[in-house]
Amino acid sequence: MSNSQTGLTPAMFNVLLALADGGKHGYAILKEVAEHTAGEVQLSTGTLYGIIKRLLEDGLIDEVTARPAIPNDDQRRRYYRLTAAGRALAVEEARRLERLVARARSKRLFAALKRA
Amino acid sequence: MPSRISFGDRIYRGLLRLLPADFRGEFGGEMEQVFHDQRRHTPRERGWAAFLHMWWTTIRDIVSMAPREHWSVLRQDTRYAMRMMRRSPGYTMAAILILGLGIGANIAVFSVVNSVLLQPLPYLEGNRLVLLRQRAVKLGEDDVPFSVAEIADYRSQNRTLADVAEYHSMTFTLLSVREAHRVRTGVVSAGFFDMFGVKPLLGRTFRPEDDHPGAPAVLMLSYEFWKTNEAGDPRIVGKTYQMNDRVHTVVGVLPPIPQYPSDNDVYMPVSACPFRSSARMIANRDGRMMRVFARLKPGATLEQCHADLSTMAGRLEAEYPKSYPKTAGYGISSAALRTELTAHARPMLLLLLGAAAFVLLIACANVANLILARMARRERELVIRTAVGAGAGRLLRQLLTESSILALGAAAAGLLFASGSLRLLADFAEQLTPRAREVHIDGWVLLFAVLCACATTMVFGSLSALVSRANPAEGLKSGGLQLAPAAHRNRIRGGLIAAQVAFSYVLLIGAGLMVRSLAQLQRVDAGFVPQRVLSVGFDLNWSRYNTSGKTRAVARRLLDSVQSQPEVSAAAISSSFPLDPDTHGMNAMDQSFRIEGSVTSEAETPPVANIRTATPGYFQTLGIPLVSGRLFRETDDENATSVAIVSRSLARHRWGVQDPIGRRISFDGEKWITIVGIVGDVKEFGLARQAPDQLYTPLAQTGMVGSILVRTAGDPAALTNQMRRAILAIDPQIAIITVKTLDEVRADSVAAPRNTAQLFGLFAALSLIIAVAGIGSMLALSVRQRVREIGIRMALGARPRNIVSAVIRVGLALTGIGLVAGIAGAVALARFLNSALFETAPTDPGTYAAVSAVLLAAALVASWLPARRAARIDPQTALRSE
Repeated sequence: MSNSQTGLTPAMFNVLLALADGGKHGYAILKEVAEHTAGEVQLSTGTLYGIIKRLLEDGLIDEVTARPAIPNDDQRRRYYRLTAAGRALAVEEARRLERLVARARSKRLFAALKRA
Repeated sequence: MPSRISFGDRIYRGLLRLLPADFRGEFGGEMEQVFHDQRRHTPRERGWAAFLHMWWTTIRDIVSMAPREHWSVLRQDTRYAMRMMRRSPGYTMAAILILGLGIGANIAVFSVVNSVLLQPLPYLEGNRLVLLRQRAVKLGEDDVPFSVAEIADYRSQNRTLADVAEYHSMTFTLLSVREAHRVRTGVVSAGFFDMFGVKPLLGRTFRPEDDHPGAPAVLMLSYEFWKTNEAGDPRIVGKTYQMNDRVHTVVGVLPPIPQYPSDNDVYMPVSACPFRSSARMIANRDGRMMRVFARLKPGATLEQCHADLSTMAGRLEAEYPKSYPKTAGYGISSAALRTELTAHARPMLLLLLGAAAFVLLIACANVANLILARMARRERELVIRTAVGAGAGRLLRQLLTESSILALGAAAAGLLFASGSLRLLADFAEQLTPRAREVHIDGWVLLFAVLCACATTMVFGSLSALVSRANPAEGLKSGGLQLAPAAHRNRIRGGLIAAQVAFSYVLLIGAGLMVRSLAQLQRVDAGFVPQRVLSVGFDLNWSRYNTSGKTRAVARRLLDSVQSQPEVSAAAISSSFPLDPDTHGMNAMDQSFRIEGSVTSEAETPPVANIRTATPGYFQTLGIPLVSGRLFRETDDENATSVAIVSRSLARHRWGVQDPIGRRISFDGEKWITIVGIVGDVKEFGLARQAPDQLYTPLAQTGMVGSILVRTAGDPAALTNQMRRAILAIDPQIAIITVKTLDEVRADSVAAPRNTAQLFGLFAALSLIIAVAGIGSMLALSVRQRVREIGIRMALGARPRNIVSAVIRVGLALTGIGLVAGIAGAVALARFLNSALFETAPTDPGTYAAVSAVLLAAALVASWLPARRAARIDPQTALRSE
């Protein structure tokens, strides 16, 4: 299920968000998404790499050529980071969500929720 | 990377194989690593539930994403392939056309095979229907009809048959308001159509009360008769006809079904047939004229049925020794109707399917060459794609997608070709099996078309793999697809050309042998002179001419009327004539006889002869030579001594070196017949068959009629209308069945082998054209590729003649290799044709020489055109190019 304006699914947006503060390898992305969504979004390896493939093809992320120096790092690991286009799209998606939340607030949705 | 990977990781690696190769190539290692980490970090304290959950989500994830990824690759490849094909429309059209012809030939033949051999009979539980057969082994007869008494016995005493129905066919004269029709009439017992599960299109089928003696006469019309003669009248039920001096009422119309053993115009119940219902017939156990069909009881097998029937036959033999003499060797058997219906068609159709498969092989080899040539032209593109990271597998997959699109296009074209030629094939099959009318294109045929497309794609796929992996070391080093070097590729292309020639040679040999066999057949001396003879098959109205005296009288008047025509130089009336299609394979006139003075023991088989009744002019009209003695005279009538004439074969077989003239024979042991002459042998039942032992009796002493034969000075066909008028002037109720010249009759007798030869010839011609076009296009391409080299050679003094011969040498060398392989293949395969050949050895040297010459000549022409182009290359221009 993708968002019609940005073409991002929640899972894709989560991957972009995970990369917002720097390059990460696949497992790190997986872990971060699971932790930050409190297990709400559970990516498995297949889905994750399906997303990575699309994000790479769309030029939203790219591979980090200079690998961070980590002792005993497995050479099969690849590190990914946001491209400028990826960052811009993530920002746009975040703003869209922000506007959505603001609307919900203006309709006093949360207050209604608290009263109930 | 850990040196030993764990069991779990290994399973995961296996799972990854579900994903497209290039996806795996790009992310596989990484995914394994991530999965490994994930597994390691799944907290142990959460126990089995967490462990199982992780595996479950992982497997579900991969299984659900794999089709998505494959689909995305396929879409990408298809888009790309379509773009490439649009860019070279000539290549695409040629490939689809050639493959389409190959696949079309297969679809067309398969649709016949499918409808005739594979589909169940269009009757209710058709696989349980059987045909019963009496045999008289010692008389050499394997299809003796049944008598009324025998049918009653087998019906009431068997333990394995649910239903038993009888059938025989006669021709009657059907009088409607307008004219007399001779109708082929199936006479069947009441349960016949119910046993076959045939539901009437209109009205009803026969009921048990229709079979009762004296029941009102009723008729069912066949679908074809109803359509043709009654214009498909929807209110036909209740209509009456006059037949055999009785009023017959139509009670129903049959649906279009295959009729076996023969097509009939109308059907009547046994009570309506004046012969079958006569008291004499019912009482006579030896009056055998019916065929018997039956339905196996549920669970009963053919073997059980056979054992059951044999027991009964043994009982009958003990009970009625006179009806089943030891000398005849009576027995009974049963055969599945389905096998019976297609027995003649099966070998021929399988041969044709084989021939069509060869056409497809040739088409494949040809298109493979086109693909190779194109791959050579696309070398640069493939190298670039390799350079930007496409793996060998990826490119192979791309090429495979292209070929499967081509093959599917070709299958669609093939379906068009096939549906266009289906009528032609069905007409051919019509001569072999009554199931031919069921031929149509259905889901199975469509599936077959798709399978053909898949098979061709596989051929191309393995070929692409062969070319691209020709140099694996290089392939591995560059990590991408490596085309084989030009020399290697040319070898493969040459091999494909040789293969086309070889396959084409085998087909040409098949066609050549059939044509030769046909020529042999047509050269056969049938023992009579068919030129300028017209035959008229006719039937008298049985009820009007019910004594042999009346028949003889009308025959006399007919003959006088015909002979009085000025164009007629000789004429005769006879019971039948040589190669008459109405008596083909029918041994009803075979009769056993006794020779006076000879003592035949119980165990010995009595002599048998085919009986022909004729007026004195018969031998002169047909040009059958008198060997010794005399022919019939006008004085050989019912008041004179009974006489007969024997054929040379009969004389030799029964009297050896002795002279049979003056000897006497008898059919019944009471009336003795003197032999007065010996005439030449005549191939009565087919040019490929032995002349039967023939015995002629004068029409004036018997009274059997069936045909009028006239010899003319001019074109016999021109007499057709005159003959009709002369006959109908004697009696307008005489039904004229066929009017044909004996030349036509003779030609019709070889229609089946002729059509087979034509179909084979068509396939062979198609294959020759494809193969020759293959040689031409390959040489043309090689000339184009070698323009510069040819230019240099010419600049160095080579003459156009040398260039021409160099190019032709290549073409002929490849043809030569193909020829040698083709000869080997043909020698190995031609023996399958043996049963279809007449006096022609499958290794007939003349055919092999002729076919080789044709192929070489065709190859020469195909090589000549590119050779001439090569010789016209201007060295100046050639050297400046590139």
